[in-house]
Amino acid sequence: MKKKLNKEKVIWLIMIILCMAAVIFPIYIMFKYSISDRTSWITGGKYPIPWWPNKPTFEMYKYYLADTRFWGNAFMSLQIALLTVAICMVIGAPAAYSLSRFKFSAKGVLIFLILSIRLFPDISSVIPVAYTFNVSFLYNLPPVVKVALAHSVLGLPYVVYIAQGVFETIPVDLEEQATIMGASKLYAFTRIVLPVALPGLAAGAIYVFLLSWNEFVFSYFITATSSVSIIPLPVYLKSLFGAFSPNPVSVATLSLLVSLPVILFTFFVQKYMISGATAGAVK
Amino acid sequence: MADDIRNNGRFYNIYRSFKKNLFLFWTILPAISYIGIFFFIIAFFLINLSLTQFSGGQAVLSPTLANYLNIINSQEFRDAFIRTLIFVLVSTPLQLITGLLFAMLINKEFKGRGIVRSIFLLPMAIPTIVTTAILLLFFSKGGHATSLLLGEYAWFPRILSREISFINNEFTAIGISILGKVWRDTPISMLILLAGLQSINKDQYEAARTMGSGSVKNFFYITLPLLVPAISSVLVLRSIEAWKEFIFPYILAPSYPILGVLIERYYVQLLDPGTAAVIGIFLIIFIIIGSAILNWLLEQARRYLVKV
Repeated sequence: MKKKLNKEKVIWLIMIILCMAAVIFPIYIMFKYSISDRTSWITGGKYPIPWWPNKPTFEMYKYYLADTRFWGNAFMSLQIALLTVAICMVIGAPAAYSLSRFKFSAKGVLIFLILSIRLFPDISSVIPVAYTFNVSFLYNLPPVVKVALAHSVLGLPYVVYIAQGVFETIPVDLEEQATIMGASKLYAFTRIVLPVALPGLAAGAIYVFLLSWNEFVFSYFITATSSVSIIPLPVYLKSLFGAFSPNPVSVATLSLLVSLPVILFTFFVQKYMISGATAGAVK
Repeated sequence: MADDIRNNGRFYNIYRSFKKNLFLFWTILPAISYIGIFFFIIAFFLINLSLTQFSGGQAVLSPTLANYLNIINSQEFRDAFIRTLIFVLVSTPLQLITGLLFAMLINKEFKGRGIVRSIFLLPMAIPTIVTTAILLLFFSKGGHATSLLLGEYAWFPRILSREISFINNEFTAIGISILGKVWRDTPISMLILLAGLQSINKDQYEAARTMGSGSVKNFFYITLPLLVPAISSVLVLRSIEAWKEFIFPYILAPSYPILGVLIERYYVQLLDPGTAAVIGIFLIIFIIIGSAILNWLLEQARRYLVKV
């Protein structure tokens, strides 16, 4: 019995190491390219590409961190992400609360309507959205607001879905007691339910932040068709390796700089992410 | 007179219930109208554009069904549809398997579990465009993949006799796209399945163990049947995402478009929004049909499992 248990443990350990390797390997490749010198990526077929650069160098990092264009784009991405989170939470959380608390006949239809916008493929919904923002009276909005409004369309269904799950886990008794003591529904919501739901809602906010920071299609179509020089980071990255002969070191360095904030973010807040995902997923 | 009073009463009741539900109304209205406005814009434009024929970027004829007829008869569209179908049929089950593997590995108390979980979540946090960039570097000409398959590293056997271009070969290009998609989306399946695993009562395993069942039996007779709801939601959600996929094939298989990439090609490169919109509408129809078929299959599977 004991021996069998050990065998299982060994298999489990090997599997977990293999899976971690599969996850980390591409990130390692990105890091390796970002610190490569010239002889480590132009080999001319004479020798294989080395797994560790011949002469590691941080030149490209120095270049980007001193580049005002990079910082401008990064700041724009951050603004868009924060604005998207704000829009989604302010609109989405109250709706999710009402959808989880009240029983009414049209509820199923409303939830379906909110979620059904995700049925449209991004690539087909981006055409009308980009067109609306760039041709109609909304043309004069700052690009940050345009992109954030578009990202909110993507984020809002997630927030409503996740937050509804969070609110359903909170017992109704709390609010009922408050209402008996004469509190209004608004008061009960803002002062009693929201503080309890905050960790779960944080998960929704994190999802939306990641979604917006990582989003490419909408950012690309909205900023590419209007004449702005500052563009979100994913679009900036695409413009680099869409060039005629992209420099791998430059692409890898920018890739790593774009991912670094979200990687750190994931390590710090993964607990909330799990609770949020499970709140939305389990029935 | 009596009618009047009754009407008044009815109005009063509606007014009262409206006033009572004012909070409900004001909380839901913003979200519904926000989504509703965009829903309307998207649906209206798609249908409108699909009925307009374009030539050289200018609308020439509207309304017309010419775009629909052109697309139905085009070989390009059929090829793209088959590629998309293959993409969906391969990547969805793969994501389920990898997600299940990750979830089962992590569903255990051990030291450093939080860190391992964070590492498993990393692919989801990394921007998709970055993932495509890494794959592009890895599979580029003179990159690691070529060196590996040509046997230039001492520890790996020589598989290819001469260099191939991964991006310009249909099989490998779609294969790399699927690889990227699965790598990126495994954490999402993992989270859903993990939630399902954690809701399984541990006593059932104990009971099975006392009756002498091993891990393999436990997995097939306890874990899998109880996970059916979680597995269903993974399959439905992930297959919808796979139908909609754009970015991986766009970067990694530009010469072999799937439907999403074909939309971009018509809209941006060929300046034909009409045809692009038609493909978009077809894609939505495929998603709905695909999900309906999948739901039906899952329902059959559920019934079968319950009977046993």
